[in-house]
Amino acid sequence: MRQTFRLFALLLRGYLRDRTALFFSLIVPLMLMVIFGYLNLGDFGRVSVAIDDQSKNQSSAQLVQILKGIETLQLTDLPTDQALTKLRRTELDMLIVIPQEFAIAPARPGQNVPQIVVYGDDARPQQVAVGRQIVAQVIDRLSFAITQTAPVIGVKEETVQGVRLRYVDFLVPGILGVNIMQLAIFSVAFALVADKQRGVLRRIMATPVRVPNLLAAHVLTRLIIATGQVAVLLLVALVLFSVTIVGGLAPLFVVALLGSILFLTIGFALAGWATTENQVPAIAQLITLPQFFFSGVFFSKNAAPALIRPVTNLLPLTLLNDALREISVQGATLWDVRTQILGLLIWTVAGFILAVRLFRFEKF
Amino acid sequence: MTPIVQVNDLRKRYGEIEAVRGISFFVESGEVFGLLGPNGAGKTTTVEILEGLRKADGGAATVAGVDVFRDPAGVKRRIGVQLQASAFPDNLTARETVRFFAACYDLVVDELALLRQVELEERARQPQAKLSGGQRQRLSIATALVNQPQVLFLDEPTTGLDPQARRNLWELIRSIQARGTTVFLTTHYLDEAEILCDRVAIMDEGNIVALDPPRKLIDDLLGRGFTKPVLQQKANLEDVFLDLTGHEIRDA
Repeated sequence: MRQTFRLFALLLRGYLRDRTALFFSLIVPLMLMVIFGYLNLGDFGRVSVAIDDQSKNQSSAQLVQILKGIETLQLTDLPTDQALTKLRRTELDMLIVIPQEFAIAPARPGQNVPQIVVYGDDARPQQVAVGRQIVAQVIDRLSFAITQTAPVIGVKEETVQGVRLRYVDFLVPGILGVNIMQLAIFSVAFALVADKQRGVLRRIMATPVRVPNLLAAHVLTRLIIATGQVAVLLLVALVLFSVTIVGGLAPLFVVALLGSILFLTIGFALAGWATTENQVPAIAQLITLPQFFFSGVFFSKNAAPALIRPVTNLLPLTLLNDALREISVQGATLWDVRTQILGLLIWTVAGFILAVRLFRFEKF
Repeated sequence: MTPIVQVNDLRKRYGEIEAVRGISFFVESGEVFGLLGPNGAGKTTTVEILEGLRKADGGAATVAGVDVFRDPAGVKRRIGVQLQASAFPDNLTARETVRFFAACYDLVVDELALLRQVELEERARQPQAKLSGGQRQRLSIATALVNQPQVLFLDEPTTGLDPQARRNLWELIRSIQARGTTVFLTTHYLDEAEILCDRVAIMDEGNIVALDPPRKLIDDLLGRGFTKPVLQQKANLEDVFLDLTGHEIRDA
C-alpha cells in the first residue's frame, strides 16, 4: 500500500509536469465539445425557404403572409434562378414558386387548379420533409376555409412535456465517454511502450518492486487525470452550454470511473502486446475509431447499419455512453443503468485477463 | 575471503545459439571483478542471469548467499544494478529519481546523501533528462546504491563517456569498493579493466577462456614469449588529450 502510494505520487508528479501532454489531453476534448456544441448538428433548427411570388396578387400575398407567420420557416423573397443556385449550394432548404394568376378560390369545373411548385434540397431531406408538410397543411387549411368544409379528421398536436433535449445535452455525455476511452487507451499504451523501448521497465524490474503495486500506481495516476478531465469537461458544459445533469454528478462520476478502469485494462493489454511505439497508434485507432462512430458519441448509435447494430450495441463505449446519457439526460439512477454497468464489468474482466496474458514483465 | 558470487556450469541458449556454454567462476567479497569479451561473447546474458532478470537453462548460481534461480527477488534485494542502455521514468528530477528507486525497494533513504556520494548534490533539483552523459551514469549508480547492496553490477558503465568522465567514474567505483561493496563490471575497455579490476574473466563464444588478475594474465602472455611488434610509446594520444584538456570533469 505504502509502496503503491509512493510510486503513484512520483508518477503523478511526473505526469503533471508534462505540460504539453496535459494541455492536449484537455484541449482536444474541449475543442470537440465546443465545436460540436456550437455546430448544433442534432438541433433541427429552422427550414430556410425562398419564395418566388410571380403572381403578386391578393391571394399570393395571403399565402405568403400565412407562411411568414410560421416560426419554423425562415422566409426570404428570391427569384427562381437565384434561389435554385443557392439551393444547389445547400444554402437553402426549399424553394416555393407561386405561379402567375394564382388564386385562392373554389375550383370551378373546367378550370385548372393553381399549382405551387416546391423544390427541395436532397442533401437536407428532413428539413425538406418538414417544410413540405407545413406547406401542405397551410394549403389544406386555406382550402377548407374557401370550400367551407370542415376537416374530416382533426389532429390534436401535443408536445412531450419535460426537459427539452438540445443537441448539446445529448453531446456532452458522448464527449465524456469518448475522452475516457482515448485517455485510458492512448496514455497508458504510449507511455508504457515508450518506457519499454527506452529500457525504463527493464531497469525497474531489476529492483524487487512488487509488480501489482507498480501497475496499481500507474492505474491510480490515470484515474486521477481522468477524473480531472471529466470535471473540467463537465464544468465547461455547465457554464458554456448550461447543460443539465438530471441524474446528478455522483452517479455520473461512478460510471465514468468504471469506464476509465475498463479502458485502462485495454490500454495495458495493448502496451503489453506492442513492442514499438509505432505499433501503438495503428492498433489504438483500430480499437477506438469504430467506437468513435458507432457508439453514439456525436449522433445516435442507431445510425450504425442495422446489420452490425447487434455488435455495436455491445461495444464498451456504447455501454458507457448509454449509461452516461441516461443518467445525464433522463435522470437515471445507478440501479436504472445496471445492465450497462454489468456490461462494463464483463468487459473489464475480459480486458483484465487479456492484459495479464499479454503484459509480461519478464519479456523486458 | 569468501566468495559472494558463485557460478557453476551456467548455461543459456536462445534457440539455436548457445549464448553461455557451462561457465563456472566465483567472485570474492570486496573485489572489483571484470567480465571482458567481444560483443556477443555472452557477458550481458551472464550478468542478467545473475541479476535475476533472465532465466538460465542449466547450472547453479548464488549471489550474496541467495540461490538466483529459486529466489530472484531475494537476489534483487541484495544487489544494485546498472543496466546497459536503460532509462529513468519521465519528468522526474535527479532527487525524485533516487526516491522512485528507493520506493521500488520499499525503502526510505537520504536521497541527498546518495547524490552527494556520486557528486550530484547540486543537480538534485534538475530534471534527470537534462543531465549530461557522465552525470546520468553517476545518477544511475546512485539509484543502484539505494538499498546498500552487497554486490554492485555495472554493465559497460563508461561506454560513450569522454576521457574525463571515465576517469571520474573510475574514482567513484574505487570509492564504492573502499566502502566494502563488491563490484562486478563488464567492459569493452581493456585499460579500464587493467586499472580497476582485481581479477578479470575473459569470455569468448559463451566460454570463459581466462580468469586471473590482469597483471598475471599479462605476465603469463609475456612468459609465453610474446613481444609487441612495436615498442610501446612513452605516451599515447589519450595522454596528449588529457594534458591539453585537463582532468577536470566537464559535466557542468
